[in-house]
Amino acid sequence: MTAHTARPGGAFVLVGRQMAHWLLGWWRIVHFSAVIGVMALSPGSYGPTQRRAIARHMVLDTAPVLVWFTLLSSLICMVIARIVVVTALSYGLTQYALEMLVRVLVIELIPLTAALFVAVRCTIPHGAEVAVLRQRGALQALRQRGIDPLRHEVLPRAVAGMFSVALLAVLAGVVALVLAYLVTYGFTTWALDGYTRTVGRVFHPATVVVFLTKTLLFTLAIVLVPLGSALHDGTRSRVSAEVRGLVRLFALLLLIEAASLIDSYV
Amino acid sequence: MSEPRSTGDDPVIDKPASIRHLQLKAGLLMVALVALVVSSVMFLLYARGAFEPTQRLTLVAEDSEGVVIGMDLTFAGFPIGRVRSVELGDDGKAHIHVDVPKKDARWLKQSSVFTLVRGLVGNTNIRAFSGILTDAPLPDGAVRNVLRGDSSDEIPKLVAAAKDLVANLTALTAADSSLAQTLANLQATSAKLNGPRGALGTVFGNDRDAQRVVTTLERANALLARLDGVTARADAQVFGPGGVMPEVRDTVVQLKTLLNDAHGSLKKMDAILDDAQAISGNAKAATADLGALRTDVDANLRKIEGLVNEINRKWPFAREVEIKLP
Repeated sequence: MTAHTARPGGAFVLVGRQMAHWLLGWWRIVHFSAVIGVMALSPGSYGPTQRRAIARHMVLDTAPVLVWFTLLSSLICMVIARIVVVTALSYGLTQYALEMLVRVLVIELIPLTAALFVAVRCTIPHGAEVAVLRQRGALQALRQRGIDPLRHEVLPRAVAGMFSVALLAVLAGVVALVLAYLVTYGFTTWALDGYTRTVGRVFHPATVVVFLTKTLLFTLAIVLVPLGSALHDGTRSRVSAEVRGLVRLFALLLLIEAASLIDSYV
Repeated sequence: MSEPRSTGDDPVIDKPASIRHLQLKAGLLMVALVALVVSSVMFLLYARGAFEPTQRLTLVAEDSEGVVIGMDLTFAGFPIGRVRSVELGDDGKAHIHVDVPKKDARWLKQSSVFTLVRGLVGNTNIRAFSGILTDAPLPDGAVRNVLRGDSSDEIPKLVAAAKDLVANLTALTAADSSLAQTLANLQATSAKLNGPRGALGTVFGNDRDAQRVVTTLERANALLARLDGVTARADAQVFGPGGVMPEVRDTVVQLKTLLNDAHGSLKKMDAILDDAQAISGNAKAATADLGALRTDVDANLRKIEGLVNEINRKWPFAREVEIKLP
């Protein structure tokens, strides 16, 4: 026990200070998100140099993982689809298997998987890169030269991360829809009408809104939290900053998923 | 962690590695994303029936529980329509608006019946039944009542019936129930049947009466044996060589002879009677002559009586016939 915590009310002061620090960290991330959002929606942010940088990050972030993620998600989808179909068959509930598959795979599982994959593969390393640049003073040097470091170094990474999540999620969703049909009916076309109808029934407009909102929030979370933490975290330790960013990221993802589940099923 | 990649030319920031055909690759990725998104949206719109012409059908139900937007209207197990909206009508009933594609509307006829069935497990189903396929097609905007078949509604009745059944079974199988007593009696009866007296003991209820029946039977048997002997002896006496029957036969023969004699006698008697009849005829005629004779005799007697009377009147001593003594 240190001397200052032994004073009356010292614990409350310490808790209050940590709470304020925690709130300040989140506020900085929210502020950073707003700034990046404004920049992303500003046409001036897409000059030739910026476009080249964004294209470069898009290719580097998305192309290498596209095939692997598609294969991995296909494998997971096939395993889950097979389990669901066999289980439904054994319980005589095959008429609900397809709807359950589409709902579980495409609406619930794919967006979360894509977001986590992109976070681990791209945006968290991006945050570490930005943290390194900040610690090396590169961002300050750019600012002194009249170049906005956010627009110059951070925005291309953020846009590339969002693009990567969107592309992987849509691609994995389409692959999951195809695989669910193949696992359920095999290589035949006679069930296409019924399958199309089932998909249409699952994707009710309200469900689509929840699905898109959830995917968008996932994307923003995995892009903005690591970058925001890397830019504004006061600690000098890079590992500590990354861990803190990860904790924030997973807490936010959990919150979004819980909110979407509550909105969809409660 | 990967090495930092940057676009700047600051010496602090590393030079980016060059990528061949960067713009082309980025363009392809963006085109792929747009194509996937557009095709997904179009597929979902198609799947929800946005591109097919439909006609509206309104089903009126007492209760819309279990009906959700987007659920199917099925015909013969095939979905032919979708529920677009459910509203509470001014009549206090649920109005279920169903969009039926024009190509599937041909299965719905004027005489079609619609049912709303809620199963124990699974979704509520709206089904259409068209018994007369040659009937006129259902017009656009038609309003039909829907029949509700709710299996869960039957559960309380089923439970009540099952409860009654269980109560009856309990009463039936109780220790003091009629069935149990009957079974006990049956068991006692079967034990008696298997006992030394058998069915007789069961019928008479006690061993004493059964014993009496057995004794009676034994005595009847003895009587029958004796009767058998008597019959044999009677047979010998009646039909034997010195029995009654040969004598009877001789007697009958003699009787026949006697009857023949009697027949001859009767014929003679008949002749005699004929003679007697003739004699009586003669006597009848003689009797008629006797009548006239009698009349004559009567006349003569009257004359004699008159004569006597006259003599008496004339005879002086006639009036004093009696002598009176002093």
